[in-house]
Order: sequence, then C-alpha cells, then structure tokens
Amino acid sequence: MSKPDFVIRNLHVQVEGKEILKGVDLHIRGGEIHAIMGPNGTGKSTLASAIMGHPHYEVTEGEIWLDGQNVLEMSVDERARAGLFLAMQYPAEVPGVSNANFIRTALNARRGEGNEIPVLQFHRRLVQKMKELSIDPSFAERYLNEGFSGGEKKRNEILQMAMLEPRIAILDEIDSGLDIDALKIVANGVNQLRSDNIGFLIITHYQRLLNYIVPDVVHVMMQGRIVKSGDAKLAEELEAKGYDWLKQELGIEDETVEVEA
Amino acid sequence: MGEVTALNPVLRVAQALQEPKVVTEKRDAAWKLYESLEVPRLEKTDLRRVTWDVGEFEATGAEVPEDVASYVQGIEHSCALVVDGVVREIRLSDEAQAKGVVLVSIHDACTTHAEVWNRHFGAIVPADDSKWAALNMALFAGGVFVHVPRGAELEHPIEVVYVWTGRPFSACSRSLVVTEPLARLRYAETTFAKGGERFVNSHVLEVFASQASSIQVATADEWRKGGMHFVTRRAKTENDAEVDWVVADTSDGQAVELVESELAGQGSRSFTRVMGLGHGRAHVEITASMRHVGRHTESEISMHGALRDRANVIFRSRTQIEKGAVGAGSEQHDRMIMVDGTARADAIPMLLIDENDVERCGHAASVGKIDPLQVYYLMSRGIPQSTAVQMIIWGYLRDTVEALPSDAMRQIVVSRVERELAR
Repeated sequence: MSKPDFVIRNLHVQVEGKEILKGVDLHIRGGEIHAIMGPNGTGKSTLASAIMGHPHYEVTEGEIWLDGQNVLEMSVDERARAGLFLAMQYPAEVPGVSNANFIRTALNARRGEGNEIPVLQFHRRLVQKMKELSIDPSFAERYLNEGFSGGEKKRNEILQMAMLEPRIAILDEIDSGLDIDALKIVANGVNQLRSDNIGFLIITHYQRLLNYIVPDVVHVMMQGRIVKSGDAKLAEELEAKGYDWLKQELGIEDETVEVEA
Repeated sequence: MGEVTALNPVLRVAQALQEPKVVTEKRDAAWKLYESLEVPRLEKTDLRRVTWDVGEFEATGAEVPEDVASYVQGIEHSCALVVDGVVREIRLSDEAQAKGVVLVSIHDACTTHAEVWNRHFGAIVPADDSKWAALNMALFAGGVFVHVPRGAELEHPIEVVYVWTGRPFSACSRSLVVTEPLARLRYAETTFAKGGERFVNSHVLEVFASQASSIQVATADEWRKGGMHFVTRRAKTENDAEVDWVVADTSDGQAVELVESELAGQGSRSFTRVMGLGHGRAHVEITASMRHVGRHTESEISMHGALRDRANVIFRSRTQIEKGAVGAGSEQHDRMIMVDGTARADAIPMLLIDENDVERCGHAASVGKIDPLQVYYLMSRGIPQSTAVQMIIWGYLRDTVEALPSDAMRQIVVSRVERELAR
C-alpha cells in the first residue's frame, strides 16, 4: 500500500450563506502529524466538517484530493470508505444501536461485501483496543454514545479510529473536556496508530495535547485561512505568548469569522 | 329483518360451538346491546364507512396457511392455535403441566373451570365497554382460558397464535388469562390476519392478575388491509400485582386498538411498551391506557412508532388517576419518526388526574423526521445511507422487540419489520 496523500487547495466553505473558510491549503502525507491551532471561531472545526462532508457545510471553491481521488465528488460514506476519518467534537447519540454493532457494520462497509471480518476476530480486536484505551468492556454493548460522558465519547471516537484504521484521521478538539489522565490515554491511542500508512490532522485550541502527540507541522488559523505554519516549536511559542503577538505581527485585529464555539 | 332462511348470527355461533345455554343468553343480551349502540365518533378514526357486516360464521373449512403452520411447528413452549374462530391445537409443556397450569379453549372452560370462568369472564371487558366489545361478547369464537395456580412460576411463555384467513364473517376471538396470588406468567398473542373482505372484527383479551402475581403480556399483531379490526386488551390488578405489556404492531390495515391496565390493587404496577411500524395505507390507532384506582400504584407507558408510505398512525397514551389513588406515579413517553413518504403521525399524551396527592406524573411526546445528524454520523464511518437509516429505525424499535418473550416471536416481528424497511 502506498503512503496516503491528502491535498486541500484553496478551499472556500460557506455555512448558511456566510463564508467561513476563505482559501485553505494543506498537504498531508502518510506518517505526518499536522496540528491546526487557533482561537475560537476562526474556522478550524468548519475545515474538519467540510472535509468529511457535513450536510450544513457548502464548499464553494477549491479542491480536496485523497490518493488522487476527488473527495468533493464523494458522498460522506464514500469518503469514509476511501479512508477519511473524523473524530467529532460532538458525536451524535444513536439509541438502540450498540457500539459493537455500529463499529462492525462500519468496518464491514469499508472492507466490502464478501470480505467481512469474522465475528470472533472482530470481537477479539474490539476487546483488545478497548483495553488499550481503558474503555470498560460494557461499552461494547452500550448504545452508541447514549449517556456517555464527554470523555467517554472522545475515547469512543478514538476507539472507532483504531478499529477502522483510516488513511487520513482528523481529530476535532479531541482534547476538549478531557482531564489529564484521559488526555494521556487518547494521545497514547493516537501514537500507537502512528505509521507511514496514516496521516493526522489534529485540531486544537491548546498546546497541551501536543505535549503528548508531537506534531511535525503546526498551522495557525485565523479569519478562515492558515496564517502561519511552523514546526512543533510554534505550538510552544503560542502556549507561552498567546495569540496576540501573532495577531500584531500579522496586523490582524479581529481573528474570528464566525460566532460558533 | 333479513331473510327467513338466515339464522340469527348469535344462533349460528352458538349452534356451531354447542355451548351451554347460559353462554348463549350472554350472547343474546350482548347482541341486543350491539344493535342498539350508536356507532361512536372517534376523534382520529372515521367509522362512518365501517359496514358492521358480520357475515355468517362457519366452524369448519379453514385451511391453516403454510407460514402459520411452520411458525406454530417451531414453537417449543406451550401454545394454542386458533383459526377463524376455531381452536385447532393446544399444546401444554411438561413444565406447565407439572405446575398445574390450565390451558384450554375459552368455550370448554365455562364448564371445566366454571368457578374462575364465571368470576372473570366479561368482568374486565364487559359487553357495554364499546360497540365492538358488545359485538365480541355476542359472537366470540376461538380463544383460550389460561389459569396459573397460586405460587406457580412459569419459566417459559404460553403463546396463542390467532389466524384470520379472511373468510366472509366477523372474527371475534376472545381469551381470558387469570393468575392466582404470587404466580408468574408470560403470555403472548401472535396474530396472522390476512387481508380479506370488509367485515368488522373484534378481538378481546381479559387479564386478571391476583395479589402479588406478575404477568407479562406480549403481542405481535399484523392487521392486514381489508377488514376493520377492533382490539380490546385489558388487565386488572389486585394488590402488589404487576402487569407488563409488550406490543409490537406492524399492521397496514385499519385498526383501533386499546391496551389498558386497571391498577385496582394497592401498590400494583404496570409498564406498557409499544412498538409500531406503520406502512402502506395503514390507519392504526393504538391507545395505551393506565387507570390508577389503588393507592401507590405506578405506571409507565413508552410508545415508539416509525412510519412509511401513506400510513396514518395514532399513538395515544392515556393516564387516568382516579380520586383516592393517593401516591400514584406515572410516566409517558411517545416518540414517532417519519421515515419517508407522506405518512401522518399523531402522538397524543393524555393525563386525567382527579387526585391531588400524586407522586409524579410526567409526559413527553414528539413526532419528527430521522435526525440528519445521526445519519451523517453513521455515514461518516462508511455506512451507506440506506443502511444507516435502517439502523437508526431499528435502534428505535429494538427495546420493545427484545422484550418479547421468545425467539420465535422476536424473529417473526424482526422479519415483518425488515420486510417493510428493506423495500
């Protein structure tokens, strides 16, 4: 299998008629971890949702390519089967659908008809991954995200990622609402997956997560664009000095483009 | 009135069943009542076009449809098969026999178990309950009498399979279930109602739960288009008794159904869960009702419906707390989702409270489409849209299906739902 290759060119995205992303460019290859940082309301989560194909987000200009395939021509499920994964900030609750059944259906959709994973093998893998993520075994039969705490939902997103083994994984504020122990568990889950067969895009407010998942590239987003890119040191600098120095340096007064959290 | 050669409908049934005179007298009185009662006006179901034609009952000649025969053959627990008003087969398990459980036809029971029969028959659903209750009392044919002695706890369910093959006469099946104190029973009714001519059908189930006994009543109904189906199922509880209803309905015909617990005894409880899948041009009105009479009685109603095509489904949850039902508590949840088409759903919660000292009384009702964010979430993991939608609907109906008492019953409901969802 060749290394994943994920390219975004000049991406413009609207939500309810308002332009949120105003030309985003990114290039992620297998084995790389990219972090996108930035204050609230600068378009980070919009980028994640638009890549996955969330129905509320409309791409008005630009391109997204995964391994030479045009992502914008794909439906949401086709994007996932092509290897995209988004760990969501607010995953939906689906009563009556067990976690295990959901993950197995997803995995089999990815593997295709005739190539379904044997049930026992699936459960062995699920149990193993749950153990690694310190998820109580009872969560396999719990209904999808129903009654899960914030931290449990985040770990469950990482569990799905570990089971589905995507080619490009996007983590949207996976660190929000996590205490330090949960954060370490989640980071450990990501680090275990690290290989040339997967590229990561990690969206976060804080540098905290990046102490545990060391990124290769750090991007800063403001006003719906990537305004600065650097290495892991950039994240440390932002943590120490905040965003204001960068705004001054770039001559930006109001960094936001949207009202959402 | 009528042709000279035609027998009075009551006489036809009574002669065919060769029952004691006392029963025929009950029928006669009920028939007079039925004829005298006006057609009621229901808020959500138009009964003006119901023919009220009862046809001419025949006790012989019905074939057992193949799907029914193989279903009944697969049942391992105690069961009975009723076809077009005739009890065709009764099987009582070794367990039930050893525990002294009675399972006989409702007609035989009035002589073989006269004392219990006389005490309860028609006492829980009397003829004057409704026009269709009167009709049932007048023409009832086919059904069982179940009696569980004091302290007997049955591990396996007793299931009655009712078949209406659509022959040209009213189907009026009727059963009576009685548990003595401290007994425990799971009783199930599975119906196979074929489409047929436009006769009026009325099914009645009476359940009596004596002190501290516990009964689960599960039903898997599929009223197909053709007739007008009335269903009246009611349980009455003594002190500390519990009756739980599990109702799975996949009809596409016309039906008006009542599932009711009368919580007469102090500290008695009832939990009703209903799962409905409306499809085709179904017009189905299901009322889940709780009547709190005794002190410290508790009830909960949970109704989940999914609708397709041009179905019109009405879910009504009705809780009545009578004066004197001090400390009663109740909850209601109605949720209905529209899958596609131009279906119409009504979720109607009703609370009728005449007692000031009530523990709690909550209700919630909603009607909506499938949440697009749930669909998006499942799709974002690679699951195709149609599969995602099916998973969400199944998830919605699952709890009720899983509460059904046997694999056979769960399978038949699953296959009925899947047949409609996979289209």
